[in-house]
Amino acid sequence: MTDSHGYEQQIKRRRGALATMVVATLLFAFISLFFGRYPKAGFTLPLDWQTNVMMRKIILNVRLPRIALALLAGSMLSASGYAFQMLFSNPLVEPGFLGVSQGSAFGAALMIVLGASSTLSVQLSATFFGLLALAASYFLARRFRFGGWLLRLVLSGIAVSAIFSSALAVVKLVAEPTKDLQDITFWMMGGLWNASWGQLFSILPVVLLSQVVIISQRWKLNLLSLGEKTSFSIGVNPKRDRTLLLVVATVGTTLVISITGLIGWVGLIPPHIARKLFGSESSFSLPASMIFGSFFLLFSDTLGRTLLPTEIPIGLLTSLFGAIAFIIILSLRNQEGKV
Amino acid sequence: MNAFELDKVSFTYPSGTQALTDVSFVVEEGSSVALLGSNGAGKSTLLDLLLGLHPNGSITLYGKNLAAYGRKEVGRLVALVPQSEQFNFSFTLLEYTLFGRSPYLRQMQSPTALDAQIAFDALLEVGLAGFEERSITSLSGGEHQLLLIARAIAQQSRILLLDEPTSALDPANRRRTLSLLKGLHSKGKTLLFSTHDVNFAAELATHVVMLKGGRILGAGPIEEVVNAQALTTLYETEMQVGTIGSQTIMY
Repeated sequence: MTDSHGYEQQIKRRRGALATMVVATLLFAFISLFFGRYPKAGFTLPLDWQTNVMMRKIILNVRLPRIALALLAGSMLSASGYAFQMLFSNPLVEPGFLGVSQGSAFGAALMIVLGASSTLSVQLSATFFGLLALAASYFLARRFRFGGWLLRLVLSGIAVSAIFSSALAVVKLVAEPTKDLQDITFWMMGGLWNASWGQLFSILPVVLLSQVVIISQRWKLNLLSLGEKTSFSIGVNPKRDRTLLLVVATVGTTLVISITGLIGWVGLIPPHIARKLFGSESSFSLPASMIFGSFFLLFSDTLGRTLLPTEIPIGLLTSLFGAIAFIIILSLRNQEGKV
Repeated sequence: MNAFELDKVSFTYPSGTQALTDVSFVVEEGSSVALLGSNGAGKSTLLDLLLGLHPNGSITLYGKNLAAYGRKEVGRLVALVPQSEQFNFSFTLLEYTLFGRSPYLRQMQSPTALDAQIAFDALLEVGLAGFEERSITSLSGGEHQLLLIARAIAQQSRILLLDEPTSALDPANRRRTLSLLKGLHSKGKTLLFSTHDVNFAAELATHVVMLKGGRILGAGPIEEVVNAQALTTLYETEMQVGTIGSQTIMY
């Protein structure tokens, strides 16, 4: 690229690549409707769609909301991971890293033990404690008197995560073993098996809003990854904008976690793959990261519910694939922006 | 009209450290002002204040109170070249230079082809044409400094604030940066830079502001303000001023 014409060509090429990725992911989502364990494990085309009521119900009320949740959760977790990485100017950060995941899990567990019957109260509690963990990590890091800002954040995040993990363990100790403890254990493993239309719609508006805000601020994310003075000098209000985006990303993440439980690596791997293909500038790598996130979670979930007669927890698969992808990415030559 | 006017500017950090006391001077449009002073004299704080980082009611920018400007409005008038920038993401040179166009972009707008052309031209001006696709993490110290200037050029501001622009440069890159900044100044850009390199100041500056312990020791045209005695007082070490050819040398 040597002039503005080349720049325009690159933008067109990247738009085309994004559109192709969206189509491919939706196509895969459609195909995965026919994967499952009914009537047999694996792929089944519903040729008897007209007469088989059970098949129809499974596809429309079990698989479809589950697939939609995978797409929504994958894109949200990746968008949050991406936003956190830019906001903390560190490509290895994700919401879990600052105690948000552990905080949310504790909040949800607490509500379960307290006997909360509504999904809403569990979601609100998860969101509240997720935000509390984020704020605690941030303010602790400001008080620490050791190392630079990023190191202090890492350390405070570790401390806050550990505190919420301990608190969660205490909640588990006092939980009623036959019901509450099982529910809490679900948080720790993560999964989409209890996805329903009701649950999906309960988080859909806020999660979509959170995604729209993050996408609309994608140019600003670039600027916020620069030094405080530089970003300020080019028209950004770093303190205000960073806080706003952190809160938005955290709320979206905790709402997703309140339904799916803790699913690792989705906030980390898709942003890295997206940067390898579309470069570090967020205009294209953020949306690409969200599409990869959707695909990553959907692929893992489809495999998890199809491969064996019993379901494989999704967190286990995302960890396995995530770790492999991580090793490959870090071993590749450091070149970005292939598209 | 004056670019900046400072009227008895004082600033104390939240920790209680008094960084500036009653600092008053004027930066004329089109001038090149060197901020001289030892470490801790208040140079960086002063640059921060001129950028609007700490709101202060005693500074005017083109006749209007600096605190009354919007962030993007200031960004279109004043650009900053920081001492260095830590790069944690592999932006390309073009992408990084395009960030300088941010004050001109509306909410949610991405750069246009015209912005890209301005960024290409800025890279050409600093001598980095042809490297647009390279990663900013692969730059040498000299190229790093030139890139920071390119981003500020793309900002098309009337004023350029530079924080120690030559502190990490070898002689060749120092010369390259100097001639680049001289070129910008000759095109009408107002420069205000902090530096410990008094000879760099002598070559580039038309005016000097000398800061000591957060107070003004002297301010005005370089030939009126800078002499051996003033520099000796400023740096608390024996300094001399001489000439080689037409060039003033301080040592």
